[in-house]
Amino acid sequence: MTEALPEFTLDRPETIDQAVTAMAKRPSSRFLAGGTDLIVNMRRGLVDTDCLIDLTGISELQQLSDGKSGLTIGAGVTLREICEHRDIRRSYGAIGEACDAIAGPGHRSVATVGGNLCLDTRCMYYNQSHWWRKANDFCLKYKGDTCHVAPTGKRCRAAFSGDLAPALMVHGAEVEIAGPDGRRRMPLADLYHEDGANHLGLKSGEFIVAVHVPPGDTQRMVRSAYAKVRIRGAIDFPLAGVAVACTRLASGEVRITSALTGTNSRPFLIEGFDPIGLDQDPDAAFTNLAKLVQKQVSPQRTSTIGSHYRRLAVSALTQRLAKRLTLELE
Amino acid sequence: MTAPLKSRAAGHPAPLIDGIEKVTGKALYTADLETSDALAGRILRSPVSHGEIVSLDVSKALALDGVRAIVTADDCPHTYGVIPVAMNEYPLARGKVRYRGEPVAAIAAIDAHTAEQALELIELDIRELPAYYTANDARAKDAVLLHDDKPGNLDREVHHEFGDIADGFAAADLVSTEQFECAEVNHAQMEPHATLADFDAERKQLTMHTVSQVPYYVHLMLARCLEMDTCDIRVIKPFVGGGFGARTETLNFELITGLLARAANGKVMMRLTREETLITHRGRPDTQVELKIGMSQEGRITAVDCRVTQRGGAYAGYGLVTILYAGALLHGLYDIPAVKYDGYRVYANLPPCGAMRGHGTVDVRHAFECMLDRMARQLELDPFAVRSANLLEAPTRTPNDLMVNSYGLPECLSTVEMASGWHERKSGLPPGRGLGMACSHYVSGAAKPVHWTGEPHAVVSMKLDFDGSITAFTGASDIGQGSTTMVALAAAEILGVDLARIRVITNDSAITPKDNGSYSSRVTFMVGNAAIEAATRLREILIAAAAKKLEADPQDITCTMETFSVHGSEQSMMSFADVAAAALAEDGTISVKGTFTCPPQAQGGKHRGGAVGSTMGFSYAVQVVEVAVDVETGLISVEKVWAALDCGFAINPLAVQGQIEGSVWMGMGQALCEETRYMDGLPVHASLLEYRVPTIVESPDIEVYIVESNDPLGPFGAKEAGEGALSGFPPALVNAVADAIGLDLNTLPVTPDRLMDALVAQRRKQRRAASLKEAS
Repeated sequence: MTEALPEFTLDRPETIDQAVTAMAKRPSSRFLAGGTDLIVNMRRGLVDTDCLIDLTGISELQQLSDGKSGLTIGAGVTLREICEHRDIRRSYGAIGEACDAIAGPGHRSVATVGGNLCLDTRCMYYNQSHWWRKANDFCLKYKGDTCHVAPTGKRCRAAFSGDLAPALMVHGAEVEIAGPDGRRRMPLADLYHEDGANHLGLKSGEFIVAVHVPPGDTQRMVRSAYAKVRIRGAIDFPLAGVAVACTRLASGEVRITSALTGTNSRPFLIEGFDPIGLDQDPDAAFTNLAKLVQKQVSPQRTSTIGSHYRRLAVSALTQRLAKRLTLELE
Repeated sequence: MTAPLKSRAAGHPAPLIDGIEKVTGKALYTADLETSDALAGRILRSPVSHGEIVSLDVSKALALDGVRAIVTADDCPHTYGVIPVAMNEYPLARGKVRYRGEPVAAIAAIDAHTAEQALELIELDIRELPAYYTANDARAKDAVLLHDDKPGNLDREVHHEFGDIADGFAAADLVSTEQFECAEVNHAQMEPHATLADFDAERKQLTMHTVSQVPYYVHLMLARCLEMDTCDIRVIKPFVGGGFGARTETLNFELITGLLARAANGKVMMRLTREETLITHRGRPDTQVELKIGMSQEGRITAVDCRVTQRGGAYAGYGLVTILYAGALLHGLYDIPAVKYDGYRVYANLPPCGAMRGHGTVDVRHAFECMLDRMARQLELDPFAVRSANLLEAPTRTPNDLMVNSYGLPECLSTVEMASGWHERKSGLPPGRGLGMACSHYVSGAAKPVHWTGEPHAVVSMKLDFDGSITAFTGASDIGQGSTTMVALAAAEILGVDLARIRVITNDSAITPKDNGSYSSRVTFMVGNAAIEAATRLREILIAAAAKKLEADPQDITCTMETFSVHGSEQSMMSFADVAAAALAEDGTISVKGTFTCPPQAQGGKHRGGAVGSTMGFSYAVQVVEVAVDVETGLISVEKVWAALDCGFAINPLAVQGQIEGSVWMGMGQALCEETRYMDGLPVHASLLEYRVPTIVESPDIEVYIVESNDPLGPFGAKEAGEGALSGFPPALVNAVADAIGLDLNTLPVTPDRLMDALVAQRRKQRRAASLKEAS
């Protein structure tokens, strides 16, 4: 038996405008898609709402197209659809692999792209029952005033745990957002803040409509992949995750873009890694990349699995993916 | 006339006879039972680890609309427990709380929301006391006692010595000592706990449906705690989704639900969450093993000195038995001339531990089998050779007086040695790949039950009636292991009838004979023998009826394939229906009973605690595990497992195979990723996301081999099959990791972070050694 689900009303708009209006009417509402994160959290007493706005009836959110203008994925597309989409798998390897790595088949058949991008941050002090959290005086993220992970700090350290975001980020994805002020677009990387209690840069009443991924330059070769540090080969959220894209530039240099998840309160791109030149020793470059990852990630004590381990393992995986993908370019 | 049997009986693979209900979703588990007229039960749990209850005020909660009853310690002044001499737990905390999550009060309300609201209205004031989360802290000199009558926070200590260990170590060519740490693990059975209690206000009678492995013990404890006559209580066990020991004692929520139903004069459904199920715990304790083994140049074990400390949690529970098993089962697997054992069961402010598959043996066996491998390496002996150098010869009695009548370990060893290609493959594996092996064993039931009444150990009754069906009645709890099917197969085999003719009615105290329950792998041996005896009696009656009809001597009547005849002659053939009709014409409905009692010589030595470990027979298992280790991420992948188990005789080979695979899986969980983790006594692991049971993705290919040693006293020669293969997995895995990357690990589980830490330490050590070498 799980905890009792609180009472709520369910609103099921058919258009994006209706959804925006519904939210404006009852700002305490929450948007619902697959429910694999939200409903679980509601049962655990982590969500204060008495109204859910179900977005799964909006056809625009189901769009999925891959053409000359790039890839567009509606926020309501399920992870399973991505897993089974041959064109996406061929051209955007990391995106398919990231979806494969999320939860289990049952979850993926209902969980959505938008839902995974908006996944709540996770922490062992937060994802517990009401009894548990109350016995621990709650926490900074919800109903409390102390972050038990870093009690002297002023912000919540809960970890962003979506697998899909870094995969989209290495492909330069943008998110399209709808809200009371109309539509707007921004780089996916800019959607997130380094604050576990407020990690999403969505304004009140906004939700994600779609993700736009620019087309791969046909003149250049791109290879991408996603890898995940976790104890079990299914179900587990990432202790750390990394997406890597390698591109052969016109100059012959190899540009390596990598993005991390599970280690910080936001997914983020690794900075400061220059393309590998033709005359450069690639192994030294990969070692340098691993060091950059170790330096830039900051896993915290949000899980029972040690943060030092997560740092080492994700850095090793980044290096491994970069090596493998670079070889594949040749 | 000779209708062919639709299914064959003992010795042939048979799908479980209750499997159809399970796979089609028709099976009703406790939580599925009709609750439209039931109140919802909820439990208020202690928010602190250790403290004195200063006040508990439920008046506001009771005043809430929709609340029908609240019970507290005032409603039950009696302790409960599974061991008559060690009952120190109250269903609802009395005076003190000793772990976070301990039940303090409970509410029955018209629905779950109301009950949850009411929980928030209960005012509980606790004066906190120092709390201890490790055995070492709890045993510190100045530690506050959890139980006033238990100095040093010691639940029980055991000191046994058999043979002369000083002589044994003196005779050894190699003596090694190592320490191992095994984390606490939980059963993580699929079905969370649930109980439905219905109190008949007019008749003052209680009917309980519950998830138990031991409905009989629940019955006794309900009578004790509710001060009711046992005849006013009826306990029924519906389908149960796994036990693994989690339900081998009466649990607090069962008694609480009974108390609530009576207080509400009605029906109460208590469905625990996964978190509450994990807090109810009763799993395998966090265990420290300090082990010293002496070995001759040839690999003969000359002496063993073992010290075990178990962090038992806040209450006694099964602890006494667990700490005794840990020592007693150092015996029975190998021929060891001298064994000294010191065991310490320690209280701590955590949920109580209890029995879990492989009760008491798993962590000690882990240490033992790891050390055998390491000593073999030092002596340049093969791991298989070391085991083979220490075999028993059945029949025999061990130094601690355990009876061994059948011993299939040699065949298990040769089977997996051959199947895994051990010798050919071991030296040629690529980097990061390794092979490891280990042996294990387990009892086929405790020959002396914890609750000793003098009654037979098992009773099965059987009925044949006008419809020609045979109904077997048993109190044996099928918890998924297949005991119901086993009873049907045993009856069908003896009676020579089709399996479909047998119905098995189980676990209703108003209908079925008393049974101690499903624990210590007792059911096949004991209930199986009782079923055989009952079926034999029924067969005698049928043969007598056939003999009378055929005017022959009963000794000349054969009965097979649902056909009776005089020595198989065609002219004399009588169908089962005709013989049954003839037998019924004599005396109406036929009822027979079979019993089984373990003979005194099986019931263990005369030393204190000698009953624990005593059994009718041991199963034996050997497994080889192949791993691939990723040294950059610390992840271990189990590539393949070869497992052989001597179960005496496989009454249902399909079920035996399932049990062996299940044991391997459960051992794999403990070896790789399962552990409870507490943060100041709060269970961080309290969900199936954080308590990481391996998934199908981690499941290796498991090659199962059934070895049949035909135990002279077992039913058809059978012994247990459900536990023996578990404890070999963790050491086989750790030995395989050592083979793969040259790293000996002494802590379970081998999570990737632990492996990485060990690798970093190993590299540091190697660097230091290299620089020392350079300097010299």
